[in-house]
Amino acid sequence: MNLSYTEEQIMLREQIQKFCESEYDFYKREEVVKSDNDFDENAWKLFAEQGWLSMSFSEESGGFGFGPIELSILFEEFGKTLVIEPYLANVVLAGSTLDKSNFSRKVELIEGISSGSMHISLAYAEAAKSYEYLTPSTNLSDKNKLNGTKSLVLNGKNASKLIVTCIKNNEFHLVLVDPSAEGVSFNSFKTIDEQTCAEFTFENVNVDDDDVIASGEEASNLLVEVLNLATLCVSAEAVGCMLSCYQKTVQYTKEREQFDQPISNFQVLQHRMVDMFIDSELAKSLLFKAMLEVDSNSEDKYKHVSALKAHVGKFGKLSAQNAIQLHGGMGVSEEMMIGHYLKKMVAVDAMFGNADFHLKNIA
Amino acid sequence: MDINFSKEDLAFRDELRDWLANDYPKHVKDKMDKGEHLTRQDMVDYHKALSAKGWMGYNWPVEYGGTGWSATQLYLFNKEFGMAGCPPLLAFGVSMVAPVIWTFGNEEQKKRFLPDILDFNTWWCQGYSEPGSGSDLASLKTKAVREGDHYVVNGSKTWTTLAQNADWIFLLVRTDSSGKKQEGISFLLVDMKTPGIEVKPIITIDGDHEVNSVFFTDVKVPVENLVGEEGKGWTYAKFLLAHERFGIAAVGASMRALGQLKEIVSELDNPDLDKKVAEMEIAISALEMTELRLLSDLENGGHPGAESSILKIKGTEIQQGLTELFVEAAGEYALMYPGAGGYGSNDKPSGPEHAAVSLERFLNFRKTSIYGGSNEIQKNIISKFVLGV
Repeated sequence: MNLSYTEEQIMLREQIQKFCESEYDFYKREEVVKSDNDFDENAWKLFAEQGWLSMSFSEESGGFGFGPIELSILFEEFGKTLVIEPYLANVVLAGSTLDKSNFSRKVELIEGISSGSMHISLAYAEAAKSYEYLTPSTNLSDKNKLNGTKSLVLNGKNASKLIVTCIKNNEFHLVLVDPSAEGVSFNSFKTIDEQTCAEFTFENVNVDDDDVIASGEEASNLLVEVLNLATLCVSAEAVGCMLSCYQKTVQYTKEREQFDQPISNFQVLQHRMVDMFIDSELAKSLLFKAMLEVDSNSEDKYKHVSALKAHVGKFGKLSAQNAIQLHGGMGVSEEMMIGHYLKKMVAVDAMFGNADFHLKNIA
Repeated sequence: MDINFSKEDLAFRDELRDWLANDYPKHVKDKMDKGEHLTRQDMVDYHKALSAKGWMGYNWPVEYGGTGWSATQLYLFNKEFGMAGCPPLLAFGVSMVAPVIWTFGNEEQKKRFLPDILDFNTWWCQGYSEPGSGSDLASLKTKAVREGDHYVVNGSKTWTTLAQNADWIFLLVRTDSSGKKQEGISFLLVDMKTPGIEVKPIITIDGDHEVNSVFFTDVKVPVENLVGEEGKGWTYAKFLLAHERFGIAAVGASMRALGQLKEIVSELDNPDLDKKVAEMEIAISALEMTELRLLSDLENGGHPGAESSILKIKGTEIQQGLTELFVEAAGEYALMYPGAGGYGSNDKPSGPEHAAVSLERFLNFRKTSIYGGSNEIQKNIISKFVLGV
């Protein structure tokens, strides 16, 4: 038994940390958020150059074949810095769906994602089907006409291709759709954590037979697999947030003076910060367990990802709320980073099944 | 990263399981499985069976007759025995006073005391807490005055676990009151048969007689029973407390309890309780992985420090939380305690069999967040050494 990261993994983390520290401060992020852009194009280019956009793809798709451990490292660091670039949407949701599929044109699409030149989104959610992703109402007719509405399509506005879940002849399907095709319309929204998502409506959209990525059990297994990986990734992001929440709060209480002393002298605050520390360490432990189970493709991998997601759903928000409380009024100021962790925690809990949903998976 | 244990460690685990299947004294196992009380003799039999296998010195170096086990072997030992429902090993001799004796004691003391601890010929108890000194242990007042070749001890100790069974007590006493309170403390080894020692039971809310008050009136202790130097006892006391943490996470025992709880709850059709059990399962998994992370760190030459306080805090919260869920599972039969046989009886009152045991454990386990450095003290330790505030 050895739970140390490899040298390669440590280097990856340092590389990402270096970027986050030197080129991604909170004020720069705020500028992007307040602009018309959904993310920083230069950052996205740099992600591609560093190989971060391709690292998790298989070697035959032009990637490095990195697994859930490396993705967890990346998302943990992104969580600490509250990175808004559409990594989850492109690489994890759309990219790994394609990579794990037998789709004939997957390599060119994955190359598009890897080079940063193409955005692809996965349309898996529907308003009336909260967390029930395998029974969409969106329908593909016998004549291959797609009808339905997909919501919460992350980064949908920027996508030049969509992967849409639908039902054809009672069978679950994953199909590739061009958002510029006739019959496709969308509205784009900001998310609570400063990303964007779109609601797409499909009206008699033509889908060619060779645009079917997967069908039947193959398609549903594929989606379940990808969503489990995505759940792991956003949970790792939450672990990063939890670590930052407690570290930044400790730092702040050492600097903030009231009653002629640093407020970190007060035991009631100390114990609350210890609780934050413990919850983040436990979250890290559950992350280790989950990513190792996913990495070894064990039967229990879904269960352990659910355990992690349930924990960060509950304690992530608690950590962020405590961080705000201990920062006092500064904690609720928009210009301070600390309050934004709470928004990320809300987003993480809401995505792919909230804490209650995942608890039921375990019970 | 590799979460799997090595072939050697797995072979070691098989050896543990083999002992548990074949050599774990059956009369002890039967009582433990039914949640019944053990007698003094049961405990002696259990410990002597381990001595016979050569495992009593589980955390001792080989030179004193110990196993010399690695941190991973110790972890597996604790986990497997916990999962098998064994009684927790009495720590007072083997893992508390013994390391103090071999580290700070003289050759004569090592020869005199260590073999009997290893063979479980002497039952030790711990004379630390006093009525006025709990978390603030260094404020202790029990006094030892040197008179010729004896110390004369006067004062009292409290919460002394199983003193009624003990042959010897290790004692923190004040030999000097002139300086700082941490100075002037000495570490004495005292035969419980010495005249002037009186043990009085303290009955806890579960009705059990587990802890005691121990009174010392002009108790004469030979000076050769002083460990190390006079006045340096506080150093030894703290050293001992660091050894007390072994196995405090109790992951194995909690996993066993969780398994039993799930069986009970599966018959109840109570979704609210199901959810709480699921949360408990996650908490145990997180604790187990935290312990493994610390273990991996240790095996890779790291020195995990105050992080291990997490194991004490969460381990005991989980132990207590489990007992609470057993009580919830008992439903209205939570009323039926202690039942017709009275406190300390092995007679079960009416109602499901798990109900009576659950109440007793629930009440008894309140102690876990208090002993071994209360959980609030553990949070102070983390504040100081991890958060740096």
